[in-house]
Amino acid sequence: MSTHVFVNRLKCLLRDKETIFWTMLFPLLLAIFFNVAFANINSGEAFQAIGLAVVNNSSFQNDQALQTALTEASTGKQKLFELTLTSQDKAEQLLTEQKISGYLLIDKEPVLVVRKAGIRESIIKSFLDSYLQTMASVNTILQSKPKNPALLLNSVGQPQNYVTEVPGTTAEPNSILLFFYTLIAMACFYGGFWGMREVTDIQANLSPLAARINISPQHKLKTFLSSLSASLLIHFTEMLILLLFLRYVLQIEFGAKTGYVILTTALGSLAGISYGAFISALVKKSENVKVAILIGSTMFGSFFAGMMVQNIKYIVSQKFPLLAYINPVNLLTDAFYSLYYYDTLSRYVLNISLLGIMTIVFCLGTYVIIRGRKYASL
Amino acid sequence: MIVSVKNLVKRYDDILALDHLSLTVNDGEIFGLLGPNGSGKTTAINCILSLLKYDKGEIEIFGQSMRPEAYDVKRNIGVVMQNVAVYNELTVQENIDYFCGLYVPDKRLRKELVTEAIDFVGLHEFSSYYPKKLSGGLLRRLNIACGIAHKPKLIILDEPTVAVDPQSRNKILEGILELNKKGATIIYTSHYMEEVEQICSRIMIIDKGRAIATGTKEELKAMITMGEKITVESQRITETQLNQLRRLPSIVSADYKNKLLIIKSSKGSNNLETVLEFFKTENIQFGKIYSELPTLNDVFLEITGKQLRD
Ligand SMILES: Nc1ncnc2c1ncn2[C@@H]1O[C@H](COP(=O)(O)OP(=O)(O)OP(=O)(O)O)[C@@H](O)[C@H]1O
Ligand SMILES: [Mg+2]
Repeated sequence: MSTHVFVNRLKCLLRDKETIFWTMLFPLLLAIFFNVAFANINSGEAFQAIGLAVVNNSSFQNDQALQTALTEASTGKQKLFELTLTSQDKAEQLLTEQKISGYLLIDKEPVLVVRKAGIRESIIKSFLDSYLQTMASVNTILQSKPKNPALLLNSVGQPQNYVTEVPGTTAEPNSILLFFYTLIAMACFYGGFWGMREVTDIQANLSPLAARINISPQHKLKTFLSSLSASLLIHFTEMLILLLFLRYVLQIEFGAKTGYVILTTALGSLAGISYGAFISALVKKSENVKVAILIGSTMFGSFFAGMMVQNIKYIVSQKFPLLAYINPVNLLTDAFYSLYYYDTLSRYVLNISLLGIMTIVFCLGTYVIIRGRKYASL
Repeated sequence: MIVSVKNLVKRYDDILALDHLSLTVNDGEIFGLLGPNGSGKTTAINCILSLLKYDKGEIEIFGQSMRPEAYDVKRNIGVVMQNVAVYNELTVQENIDYFCGLYVPDKRLRKELVTEAIDFVGLHEFSSYYPKKLSGGLLRRLNIACGIAHKPKLIILDEPTVAVDPQSRNKILEGILELNKKGATIIYTSHYMEEVEQICSRIMIIDKGRAIATGTKEELKAMITMGEKITVESQRITETQLNQLRRLPSIVSADYKNKLLIIKSSKGSNNLETVLEFFKTENIQFGKIYSELPTLNDVFLEITGKQLRD
């Protein structure tokens, strides 16, 4: 470790306004933007009731149990559904106009009509499944003549059964948290800008500056590690500032496991920097192309981790579970998410292990490419 | 001997950039590597510095075989690359200190060296400037200071005057002579023959990766048949007269273009007299007339059949 290189590198990087902007100010600005955009949702109910229509035909009129269950689920402060009773044509129209997420048509059996597969649609579906299952049990039990059938019926329409899908912690479900967790993950991967610069400044075939370093009487990898340490320190500090800003200015919850949250951030920062370094070492294209790849892939990853459209994360984990596991932005997001929502660490450990493996791959890959000291061409 | 290169061959895919290039640089010399664009000067320098892989050849510096890990050798080399390589986020002084620090760990000694280097390139009043604020010429000077602040025994400069204003250029050339006087051996590449003639004690002319001639400028000029170039301004010269001229003894060539007659004669005296005699007998009117000794360009032209610079 060379202090001369480290100290000068710190000086250099701290004055690199453009990279500081992308790695620090940009995420902070996005955080503020998110916060403003979600202010209303946040101050209202934690959960926005799902628009649901029921075709008001004779079958529904006759189904007392379903009526009760739906009424239960669509009244009160914690209501699950915003219920509309209407004709089938009208329901179809509401669905097309996206005023509702789905409607129920009761024939012999209740049928759910939805347009897409998202969290809201799934909640209606699981409500219905749960209702049907309960009714089946109720019928069975009723046939065995219980003492208090009314009590049984009461258990049919409990909204928190569907929203509070997480066992254990006292944490409150807050869908907005996910946006901020993806934001941290994105910011960690924007640390790739630092990693990219490190490789550019040590590979003589990438910059004349690096050529100067390469002809000096210094060990290349030692110089690289000293220089890289400065990047790691700066980026980790940036991420801590982001965490503190989110926690204490925007009042975003991270749960009680502070130590783990910081550890996750540190690993995220390392993952991001090594990712950028790896791209820079691997891609034999211009600086602009590399930056485009870094921003593009991070945005892509953030999108599929649910940053822009939250349903995406859910859809991905249902339909393309592999994508959820190989998307490092999602792994990092999910690590924060599981620290907050779960008491047990198993899901967290899975995420962190996968992310750790990827980081090792990025580091090893970078090492293999940059360890050479002579170049085929400059 | 400071540098010895034997049979260096370097290929970039299908381009043969260096073709069995051999050279030696002796202690205290200013060794000039003169060649047109793309002749392989930078490639040769980068091979010597162990930056580039090469296909064949042996390179020794200070009597040791050169490798990337030859830190003792590298410690005594200073390089000024063709491309400016400085940190945009560090000031003039910080840049020099940083690069000097890669060679000289001792802070106190370094401080002196940095001040000396700044004075040497005349950047004193700009020492707290960031590179972006420097003009092209000043930036080149900073680039030089970064390469030589640690007082190396061997200094390699790869076209340090490209795109530099005449004032900075002179300052740079004077500086190189001064460094040499203080004991440094210098390798200087350029495609400006005037510069090379001005400062180099020995010159190698290269073309297409091959050494085509080596020696002092006098030795190089002695290698060619042309001894003198006579230029005559004249309104009219007929083709017959031109052919007659060419047939005169000691005249190597005669060309008439744009009202300028250029005659090249072989070595020996009385060449100008012969030409003037001819003009008198033919009754040719002429304006200015002047005679020049051959330049390195003429050397290059005669050996390769093309101009050093186009
Ligand atoms: N990285 C590279 N890849 C492929 N070919 C290269 C590369 N660098 C140089 N060359 C080729 O090798 C030959 C020598 O190039 P080099 O840069 O060494 O010449 P030079 O004498 O330094 O020229 P200049 O005066 O323009 O700096 C040229 O034909 C050039 O096109
Ligand atoms: Mg060159």
